[in-house]
Amino acid sequence: MSFFIKKMSRRALVQALVALPALSVLGKLPDANTAHAGASLADPDEIVEVNGWILKRSDLA
Amino acid sequence: MIFDSYEAYRAASFAPKVCILGSGPAGTTIARKLDAAGIPVVVLEAGSRDFSDESQDFYRGSTVGDFYFDLDITRLRFMGGSSNHWAGWCRVLDKQDFEPKAWAPDTGWPIRRADIEPYLPEVHDILDLADFRPDVPISDDIRWVQLIKSPAVRFAEKFGDELDKSRNIAVVLNTYATELAGDGKRVTGARLWSNGRDAGTFNADYFIVCTGGLENSRLLLWSNQRSNGGVVPNAAALGRYWMEHPTFEGGNAILANYGEFEVDDVKEAFFSPTLAAMERLKIMNFGIRLIETPYAGVKSLVADLACTAPDMAEWMSSKLSQNLRCAAQLYVAWEQAPLASNQVELSKTDVDHAGVPRIELHWKKSELERRTLVEGLKLFGTTLIEKDLGRVRLMDWIANGEDYPTNEETAGHHHMGGTRMGTDVARSVVDANCKVHGMDNLYVGGSSVFCTSGQANPTTTITALACRLGDHLSKVVSV
Repeated sequence: MSFFIKKMSRRALVQALVALPALSVLGKLPDANTAHAGASLADPDEIVEVNGWILKRSDLA
Repeated sequence: MIFDSYEAYRAASFAPKVCILGSGPAGTTIARKLDAAGIPVVVLEAGSRDFSDESQDFYRGSTVGDFYFDLDITRLRFMGGSSNHWAGWCRVLDKQDFEPKAWAPDTGWPIRRADIEPYLPEVHDILDLADFRPDVPISDDIRWVQLIKSPAVRFAEKFGDELDKSRNIAVVLNTYATELAGDGKRVTGARLWSNGRDAGTFNADYFIVCTGGLENSRLLLWSNQRSNGGVVPNAAALGRYWMEHPTFEGGNAILANYGEFEVDDVKEAFFSPTLAAMERLKIMNFGIRLIETPYAGVKSLVADLACTAPDMAEWMSSKLSQNLRCAAQLYVAWEQAPLASNQVELSKTDVDHAGVPRIELHWKKSELERRTLVEGLKLFGTTLIEKDLGRVRLMDWIANGEDYPTNEETAGHHHMGGTRMGTDVARSVVDANCKVHGMDNLYVGGSSVFCTSGQANPTTTITALACRLGDHLSKVVSV
């Protein structure tokens, strides 16, 4: 065991393991300023307004 | 007959049954209809044969609220009225414009479009129009609509000879009816101003006020004030529900193929919402005018798109290389929701040379109209996407929710409402026949009787209503 894990309490260790899957989701969070990210999960035909343009989400690919 | 002064007219001993105030499209059309029925009519025109600064000065006024044109610029005070600077766009109000809209208070007319349709053949002759073509649905939400660019008939030029030769019509120039007198049942006379001084009282059996979409309200407000309510006995709506067609450049479109839409002789196409779209989004009518953009504008538009949607920009760029005419400016004109607070008032401090209070126009665009502008452009943009025809970009001030710019078209110089038609005397001034509520011999012609504005330029509907009123008067007035 590493020095850090030795220092962690059992409770903190469990919390860290529970949080791990969520980190991958956080990594894919869309940029608040664009609609680019997350496109693979959204309807490609959805109408979006970006920088004044009326576009289809798939236009942003 | 045309007289250049009231003095010359008096010397002719003409005995009219009807007195029309104003020689614009409405006044001239009604006079010609009465002439055809053999009814002698005098047309009092405040201006002369030509434009003059002195005459226009009578039209100065002020505006409170949103930015608007100077009131002596937005209309013309000489023979033929504002037809002298009319651009010539023609279209009758839509059928749906006459119907009440649950989401917009005080909409709906007491007549239907079918009531003026029988007069359209006459209107086509008067305005030198080709036949209108039916609307073409582009999607469930957007329809292609036709506005005919007419030769812009100047009424004095086109009908001057006819008026001059008529034995039933006397056009009297330089004669300003400053007020009407009334006893609450009838107009008993018109006070005249000619050659820079009071010219006495003029009498006729019937009076038809056709002085324009601002001036009709002014004249009746002043007359009513002077007659203690004797000219418009039910005056709650007098001057109110005034409307324009706000008009702004709303955005641009890049089109895959400019030839997708039928354009007119000046390379423009027009689009409006379907009734279903208006009902679903609870918006007013609007017209999007699509105008071809110069090539330099296309390149900057594609460059802008490249920052947001590179692949789409690349596709557009390839289209651009095939077709240099593939971008457009989008101008939007829309129907104003009728609001009692948008109104013509009389100035408390400023009068014209004849002592008549000038106009203080209160005018503001509403939140419903802003939504109509934004949703309208989005509907058009969505339609282009659905049909794979192109893409739309909103102007920055719209996308960012900023105020209306003050350096653009602003509005159409279309002055509507103020003496609106209706059955409820608290919310209207004239009845379905354009007769002032409670008065036996006073009628109003012109766009001041409009209950709603629709999105179409008003002259075609003004002329149709004038034909209808002329027919009505021909039956009512006994020779």
